[in-house]
Amino acid sequence: MNDGTANLSLSGVGMVYDVPNGEPVEALDDVSFNLEQGRLLTLLGPSGCGKTTLLNILAGFLAPTSGIVKLGGSLIKGPSQDRGMVFQQGALFEWLKVSDNISFGPRMNRQRSATTKRMVDELLDTVGLSGFGDKRVYELSGGMQQRVALARCLANDPKIILMDEPLGALDALTREKMQGLVLELWQNTGKTVVLVTHSVEEALYLGDQLFIMAPRPGRIERAYELPFAEIGLSTSPRELKASPEFIEKREEVLSLIWQMEEQIMGHEDRR
Amino acid sequence: MKALSGRRSSDFLRTLLLRSSRGALNQRKTVTFGDGSAVAGKILISAASVLVLLAIWWAVTYKWGLPSGFAEQAERADRIENPEGRFSETKLVRACKADPQCSYSQMFNHRTLPSPVNVLRAVNELATDGWRQNTLQAHTWASLERVLIGLLLGVLVGVPIGLAMGLSSFFKSVFDPIVEGFRPIPPLAFVPLLIIWFGIGETSKITLLFFAALWIMIIGARSGVLSVKLSKVHAAYSLGASKPQVLTRVILPNALPEILTAVRVSLGVCWGTLVAAEIVAATEGLGFMIWDAQKKLRMDVVVVGIIVIGLMGVLLDMVMRKLENWLIPWRGKG
Repeated sequence: MNDGTANLSLSGVGMVYDVPNGEPVEALDDVSFNLEQGRLLTLLGPSGCGKTTLLNILAGFLAPTSGIVKLGGSLIKGPSQDRGMVFQQGALFEWLKVSDNISFGPRMNRQRSATTKRMVDELLDTVGLSGFGDKRVYELSGGMQQRVALARCLANDPKIILMDEPLGALDALTREKMQGLVLELWQNTGKTVVLVTHSVEEALYLGDQLFIMAPRPGRIERAYELPFAEIGLSTSPRELKASPEFIEKREEVLSLIWQMEEQIMGHEDRR
Repeated sequence: MKALSGRRSSDFLRTLLLRSSRGALNQRKTVTFGDGSAVAGKILISAASVLVLLAIWWAVTYKWGLPSGFAEQAERADRIENPEGRFSETKLVRACKADPQCSYSQMFNHRTLPSPVNVLRAVNELATDGWRQNTLQAHTWASLERVLIGLLLGVLVGVPIGLAMGLSSFFKSVFDPIVEGFRPIPPLAFVPLLIIWFGIGETSKITLLFFAALWIMIIGARSGVLSVKLSKVHAAYSLGASKPQVLTRVILPNALPEILTAVRVSLGVCWGTLVAAEIVAATEGLGFMIWDAQKKLRMDVVVVGIIVIGLMGVLLDMVMRKLENWLIPWRGKG
């Protein structure tokens, strides 16, 4: 079903913030890439490298100061249900039941309630929350809340899913479990996914494509094609993360990021 | 060093007086001084505190009030003399003057601070005979009705303005100077103007309360909008919500806790403002009742009014808190 409607293309995207009483900050400079439908791209980099800015531009919350962003050939002008977003935490609607959170998108788009109800049950099943539909969001644990966020996003059947550190606030064990769920959903739905993360391991494990971003100005420093996401679907995560290939890649990426961090520190020392 | 038996009895006293309603964990805490969560209300101590206050009141009025049973005796004597007539305050004064045991100065002090018994008697009198053609219940309801109508109008006008101020630069610019300019003025300062414009009837009272509630509601609704997490708004737009849908489905429920807090604050302010306004000019209501009773030196009626005003304030706040628990169980859990 690769019809190209979920191909993402960026050319020359730049973002300059005006700072009162200071030099303008170049959050992004000349970011260009194509992401084919069905790929899972992870964005990794030290803080201030513009990865969240980039994600906000893709979501349509920010308009770039230069360049063109297209999804499936049409220009991105603002937020739309084409591009689902999963936030770090606290973006669920705590005044709604779990099932009403999930059906929020379809209800906003005036879909028939009978179809919606069936879909909500299926989605609850998909993310492993069957029977939790009538719970309040705040009665769930952090990991379960992120499952709801994933389901809410999928309910709209978006072309592309954007994730802004979706697992960042979870404890290590829950996080690993959720990584498995993300991979599974990606495989089963065939959605294009862009995921921002702070964790090198997560970026390597989930991404079948990885951009390392660098700050000042925010840019793509290096791009990797990764095999682990594909393997991860059939191998156990612990086994995969302990494999020599994975460790080698992890150390390579880590040392690259450490280098960048040290440059930033040096830069700040000189100030 | 304390004897063992002494310690045991003091332990028993402690469980009786200090038993915590917060569960077993607090009993195991070794650090409680400075730990706010270990500080809990003890019902027995609170009840004792109220009783002590009442006892002091009773003791003071016993000492300086009428001799015990004097009023009852005088009334009984009067009944025998005029079986048909009512026993009035004037008759009580006359009886006191006639009795060498009862000094006028005691009568006067009885006027300054009525005893708890006098106050209870006044409650009975006010509930059946009333004060100035209205029973105590009618005066209370008159005040309550004004507060509720004024508050309702304040909410209906204030919330939309506050929401608009939190959502649009245009409305923020338009209303900011008005709100900030009027807010510091105590509503009572407008009473002279309102009386000239609307008289001393309901319109001036309700307008006054409307303004008392308005600024609080505007500020509450605006800060409710400003407290909405941006990621929730972003999420709603990404899920295909339109602007009106974002307003009604995300911003409004999110602002509801702060709006209800503002209602609660407004209710308190309106209640206080109203009583003061009724003192200035009115023909019914609790404020009118205590002011009118003061002119006739009926301090027992004044005290009844004061107590009812306080109780109603507590009651209204309790209703609001129940309402909050019922309407916004998600408060603070976002």
